[in-house]
Formats: sequence, structure tokens, C-alpha cells
Amino acid sequence: MHIVVLAKVVPDYEVPAGDFELTNSRAHARYKRMMGLYDENAIESGVQLKEKYSSSLTIVSYGIKGDIQILRKAVAMGGEKLSLVVGNSDDPHIIAANLKMAIDKLEDVDLVLAGQQSADMDRGIVHGMLAEMLGFTFIPQVAKIEQDGDQWKVIQNTESGSSELKCGGKAVLSITSVPENVPRIPVVRSIFAAKKKPVDTLSEIEGDAMLIDEVLVNIPKMESVCEFLPAEDDMAETAKILLSKLREERLI
Amino acid sequence: MGRIPYWNINLGILIDAFAVPMIVIFVYGMYGHWKRIRQGKVRINPDLSKSAGKIGPVYIYALLTKGILGTRIYKKIYTGVAHGGLFWGMVILLLGTILVFLNVLFGLPVFRGGFNRWFMSFALDLAGIAVICGILFFLFRRLVFPPERLTEPKARTGFSPIVLLLGVVILTGFVVEGGRIACNGIDNGSFIGNYLSMMFGKTDAWLTVHRYMWWIHGLLALGFLAYIPYSPLVHLVLVPVNAALADPMPGTKMGLIDFSSFEDEESEEMPVLGAATLADFSQKRLLDYSTCLWCGRCHEVCPAAQTGKPLSPKGVIITLAESLQDGHVEDDSLIDSLTSEALFCCTTCAACMEACPALINQPKTIMKFRQNLVMERSEIPEMMGKANSSLELRGHPFFGTGAGPRDWCKDLNVPVFEEGKTEYLLWIGCSVTYEERAQQIAGSMVKILSHAGTSFGILEDFRCTGDPAKQMGNEFLFAELAQQNIEDFSDMGIKKIITMCPHCYNSFTRHYPKLGGNYQVIPHSLFLKSLLKAGRLRLNRESKTICYHDPCYLGRRNAIYDEPRDVVNSMGKLVEMARNRNESFCCGGGGGNYWAEEVGTRINQVRAKEALDTGADFIATSCPFCLLMLTDGAKKFTEDQKIFDIAELVALQLEER
Ligand code: SF4
Ligand code: SF4
Repeated sequence: MHIVVLAKVVPDYEVPAGDFELTNSRAHARYKRMMGLYDENAIESGVQLKEKYSSSLTIVSYGIKGDIQILRKAVAMGGEKLSLVVGNSDDPHIIAANLKMAIDKLEDVDLVLAGQQSADMDRGIVHGMLAEMLGFTFIPQVAKIEQDGDQWKVIQNTESGSSELKCGGKAVLSITSVPENVPRIPVVRSIFAAKKKPVDTLSEIEGDAMLIDEVLVNIPKMESVCEFLPAEDDMAETAKILLSKLREERLI
Repeated sequence: MGRIPYWNINLGILIDAFAVPMIVIFVYGMYGHWKRIRQGKVRINPDLSKSAGKIGPVYIYALLTKGILGTRIYKKIYTGVAHGGLFWGMVILLLGTILVFLNVLFGLPVFRGGFNRWFMSFALDLAGIAVICGILFFLFRRLVFPPERLTEPKARTGFSPIVLLLGVVILTGFVVEGGRIACNGIDNGSFIGNYLSMMFGKTDAWLTVHRYMWWIHGLLALGFLAYIPYSPLVHLVLVPVNAALADPMPGTKMGLIDFSSFEDEESEEMPVLGAATLADFSQKRLLDYSTCLWCGRCHEVCPAAQTGKPLSPKGVIITLAESLQDGHVEDDSLIDSLTSEALFCCTTCAACMEACPALINQPKTIMKFRQNLVMERSEIPEMMGKANSSLELRGHPFFGTGAGPRDWCKDLNVPVFEEGKTEYLLWIGCSVTYEERAQQIAGSMVKILSHAGTSFGILEDFRCTGDPAKQMGNEFLFAELAQQNIEDFSDMGIKKIITMCPHCYNSFTRHYPKLGGNYQVIPHSLFLKSLLKAGRLRLNRESKTICYHDPCYLGRRNAIYDEPRDVVNSMGKLVEMARNRNESFCCGGGGGNYWAEEVGTRINQVRAKEALDTGADFIATSCPFCLLMLTDGAKKFTEDQKIFDIAELVALQLEER
């Protein structure tokens, strides 16, 4: 079995609000670049599957050459090789087409895992488009994957609950974050080994851009107002007050 | 009549012959310990560098004070006195016995005049009484009212038989003495012997009793000595040796790991990172485990053990001691039996080291296991793992922080370090950069240094020394961050650094030099003291009381106790918590536990309560992690903001001038 995990390198998704700055509607270039938040969960899920089913695991990314250094962490976590399509488009359709091209080149891919959304654009649509292009089944927000005969049994976590699904054939699964797929810290041996593992750098192909123009990017200012509820006397009462206040604010 | 050795005994000289097999059994027992210890990785203390009071690998001062005089034992006064009576009583009795042998063999005149009366009679009786009192104290305490530290997590067996045997040796010795005096008349100075002889009365039966008792006493004494290496009393030999070889630098020094062999994947020489089995430890560590007294003093002072966490330093050391004794040197299930959950509870506060009368380095053992868990097995608690990843990705461990690194200096005119122009680098450090409350320390220091006219500057970018990675066991990440800093510092021509965080100070002074970074590093408390002393700062002294909390990495790790107190005293009246200076209790944030989800009672709440209970107007500290932990801990008890860094207090007093 051959598993592909899609990983995307993004600007630091945790820049403190007070320090955040945009240039050309994107995070300022001075911020550190790192692997997307959910992508690390996807890699961890991929590595666990690889260990459980003795599969092979390839990391595929679309980005700039400088990302290789950062993507090596994914390899150190358990990937065997890295395939990078060099390009800098933000268009989801173009990205999906390029990822498809890289996956087609690998020929024997059975399962594609991806973080449920990137940590820069947060759109969560590339993997759906990719599945469509590849002709694979697509299941979003997957928390757990198991092989069940020649099918995949997956647990899908959504805001309203979870469902257990089965699918046969090849699939693209977008991975959500759960305690079971907290990304591992690569062990030192693997960090050194990752430096020697093969990297395929592919030139991007042209794809059809979507008919969307970005007019304005707006980051809301964070404001916090604190209200302290008395917590000493009766905790149950405090919890009730908290609940009613959250309802009043329509936060729950 | 003067005392005649071997009086009433036929062929008494045979006792000397019996001493020979005793010595063989004794030496064989000690050889067993040596063989076990030799299974460690490197020979004991290969550091033969010359320093004052050191001969080869032996630290003479430590040997004499902590090893032989057992100074740490007396920190617990009752136990100390009982131990002192037992130990020094035995030493005097042994000396007396040796003098008897010398008298028999070479006619040394020890049974004459004042020496006989005051040493051979009075002092030996007194020594015997001291030993008996010591034995009774220890038996009573171990068997009747054992303190928790002796029984938790496990009590030692094998102590009572040898102590009872010693008691019998002493008592039979008194009976022999009483019998002799009963037959020969009063012996001036032998107050116990004279008393017993009066009780026995003068009958011929005492000639027979004396003869049998003499042999029983002699043979039991030899048996006792031969039994020592096989019993817990082997610490009589091992503690002095362990003390002599223990590095006197306070706190744990973790050696460098050479990662270069990992470049070659095929290399057979790849070292085990940290330790997973006993065989991965050095001989000195195995000596530590063999030496452990199971006294539990480490357990009693350990913030983790005392707040219901699964870690007990005593538990760790005795598990290793038993494993070593059982020959399980290659057993890699050891680390699992200790559990990673427990090993990550250690705050690396070094309280256990400070309390240990056998000079055992418990945190180093724990850290070695941690290194293995993190760097070989990728096992780390989730929050610490996130901090670790953040360090790797962003160069600081404060993931999810709301505070921007430039927030604290927005309204301040903070100079940037300029090569050749600026004297001191004011090192901000990660917590002060990224934690909103701790940022106020930096603002205060900038005000103070500007006020005092100090030539200082900060770095343009913000970074961490890598200390949190080291504390969490990720030596590799620490080395990467430290090397980068060292390269940059040398490009910038940085030579003098003022730190606000004792963890940074500790890293710069203890770990960076080994990687090639040598600087003059001054903790801010010392710098403030020097500014006050030089008259460059004058503070408004108030009648307020200020309680000072010793940060573990400034106090126990670097023995800096007085200077922060002097600074506090220049602003108000210093009050102390019961646990202070080298006995201070940790804030709970060390060892990466700032990012821990604590089980049991929260350490910071315990310490904050101790500080608040002093009733002081302010609680001062000189570590941003302590500030954050105690501020959080105090929230359980008060809404007032009472915890401050000493720099904040100094800046406040400056403003009021
Ligand atoms: S260093 Fe501190 S926390 Fe760690 S075992 Fe020793 S006393 Fe306990
Ligand atoms: S490690 Fe030291 S303090 Fe702890 S039980 Fe052993 S001898 Fe006592």
C-alpha cells in the first residue's frame, strides 16, 4: 500500500495578535515558515497507518524550494520521500491540479491524506478538488482510519458529532485534529536520516485558475473583555450563570 | 590490677587468625559492589582537571566534610545526633580494638595511666553507650514510628538484622568487661563495666561466663564486620567514596552529546541518547545507586512527590539500585517501569540533590531517562511536546501566546546592541518576550539601566537560549539553538550579558562554554546589587515587608542567595518563608513543567500559599518563570497582585524618588 500525505508550508499561524502584519494581503514575510497545523496531524495519521500496515509513505507538497528544509520534518516523522511541486499560486484549482500531477507520477497511490484546512488561507477545499480530479472518494474531517478487509473504515468528526463510514477503493481523506494524532517529535536518528532521503522537485504545470478576484483581505482586531464570575461559593450556580451568559451572547 | 589482654582466655591470639577470613569475606563483598559499578559506561569521574582541593578525581573537601563528617546528616538534628553517636561510637570502638591488637602484637602501652583510664576505659564505654542509643533510636524509628520518607514508596529491609547484630556485639562487650571487673576489681574509667560488675557480684562462675562471652563477642564482632558489604551498612564505605567523586558544582551538569555519528546512517558507533538501561549510565551513576541509603530525604523535599505526582526521586534511585543488585543491567523495560509520566514530573529543582546525605545526583538520572524518551522514543507529554515544537519552529516555546514580542518596548526607547559601542547585551529571553506579565520585567530593567547610565542594548530579533528544550530532554534541539546563538553572538561581538531569567543565566554559564560560547554573564539581581553598591541607583526605602522566593536555578543551582536579598533589603524589610535559600521549595515551573498539566496538588499554589502566609506586603522573586507560576498560584488565595520581580520593585522605588 502506498500512502501520500499532502503537506503545505505556511507562515507562522500563531503570530500573536499584537504583532500581526499583512503585506500584499498576506502574512508579512518576516514570519517564520512552518508546516500547516492540520497537516502535521495528517502526517502523524499517515505514519501510524504506515507502521500498522507496513505501507510506504510519500510526502507531497506544492510550494517554494525553500520549503524543502521545513518539509524534511515531515520526512523525519516517518515519510520515505518527498515530492515538491515548485510554485506559488494561491488558487486552489491550480494547487489541486499540480498535486494531482505529482500523485499521478507516483503511479501506485492508494490513499491520500491531507490536513482538513491549511493554516494560511483556511479554505479547506483543495483536497476535495483533488479527489474529484483523481477520481478518488473524498471524506472530510476524518479522525480515525482503519483497514477493514479491502475497505477503509473511518470515523468522521464534525461539529454535530461523529459518524463511522466505510469506503472502498482509493480515497482522499482530510484529517482533523484529535488526541490520537498529536504529531510526534521526530527522533534524532530520523532527523539525520531525513536529510538523506530523496527529494523530487517537479516544475509546476499550468492549471485553470478559478474565476475569483481577491478584492480585500481584512483581519479583525482582537478585543477581549473580561468578566469574572464568583467561583468560590457555589460552583454549580457559577456554571449556570456562565451558561446563561454564553447563551445571551449567542456564543453557544 | 592493670588490664591484661587475653586474661582468662586460652589461645586468645586465635581471634587474630579468625580476622583473616573476615577480611576475605569483607573484601569479596566490596568486590561485588565494584564489579556491579564497573558495568557503567565510563570510568568514574574521568575529569582529572586540577583544581584546588582536588587530588586526581577525589574532591578532598567533600570527602572530609560530606563523606566522613557527614555534615548533611545533621540537617535533621535528632537523626543527625543519633547517626553521629552510632558512627563515631563505632569508630572509637574500632580504634580501641585496633589498639588492643597493637598492644598484643607489639606491646603498645595503651593500658597504662591516664590513656587507659580516659580512652581505653571511659571513652570506649561512652562510645558503646552512644552506639546503643543510636541503635535504639533507629530501630524505634524504623519499626515503630517510621516517617513517611522511610516507607514511601518502599521501605528498606535488611537494616534491622545488622543493627541488632551490632547491638549484641556491644552488649556482649559490656558483659565481658563487667565479668572481667567482677573478677579483677574496679577499673577506673570503665563506668559501665564497674556498674555491671557490681550487679553481677563476685562469684567464680563469672570466670566461665567471661571466657565464653569473650569468644562470642569477638566472633560476633568479626562476623559483623564481614557482613557489612552485604548489608545496608555498606554505606559506611560507599558514602565517603561517592562524596569524594561527586562534582561539587551545585545542581546538575548534563554533559555534551556528540551528534556527529548520526550523520553516518551506517555507523555502528551511534550512541544511545540519554539512558534506557542501567548499562547506559556512567560508573559514577551506578555508584550513586549502590550508595543510596533509602533514607527518603529526597522524597521529602521533592515538590513532585510532595504534591501527589507519580514521581519520587527515592523511588527512582531505589528501583535502579535493586535492578543493579539483581544484575538487570541490560533490561530496557526499566524506563517503562519508572513510567514517562513520572519522569516528566521532575522540575529539575535539585532539592533532592541538596538534601541527599549520600551526594547522589537524582536529577541527572531522571534527565538521562528523559533524553532517551524524547530523542529516541519521541515520548513527551502533549503540552511539553507543543512547547518543544514551538521552540523548533519559532525559536521560542510560548505557543498560543497573545503577547507580541514587540509589545513590551512599544513606549520605551530601548537601544539595540551595537558592536564596539554597547557594553552589555540585555538578554530578554523567551518568557519575558512572549508572556504579557513577564514583559513588565524587561520594561523595568530598561528603565533601571537607563536611569543608572549603563551602556546596554537588546537584540533586534527575539530568541531563547534553548534551555526549555534541554530541560525537557531535547538536548539536540538545545544544541542547535545554542550553536546558532553562539555564532550570532560572536558575529555581534557580544562579551557581557545581563540576564533576567536564571534559566538563561544557567545555560549561558554552564552549557554554552562547552559549545564554545564564553561570556561574562551577570544575573540581573547581581547587577542591581552592584549598581546600588556603586551608588548609581538610590531607592526609596519603605516600611513595607517583602518576602523573597529563591528561584531554584539561581539559588540551589548557582548558589546566589544573598545579592537578591540585599536588593530587597534596600527597598523594605525582608521576611523569609520557612523554606528558603537552599531549602527553598520550587515554584513548579522548572523542567519544562511550566507547560505541564499537573496531577495532584499544584506546586505553584503550595509555594504561593507559603509566601502569602508570611503576611508580607510584596512577594519578590528574580525569575520570570517563578513570577508567572507564583502569580498564577496566588490567584487561588487572593485577588491582590502581590508577586513581583525584584526589577519591578526597584523600578517602582526609582519612580517614587
Ligand atoms: S529535581 Fe526536584 S522535582 Fe526533580 S526529583 Fe529532585 S526534588 Fe523532585
Ligand atoms: S537518593 Fe539520597 S536522599 Fe534519596 S533515599 Fe537515597 S540516599 Fe536518601
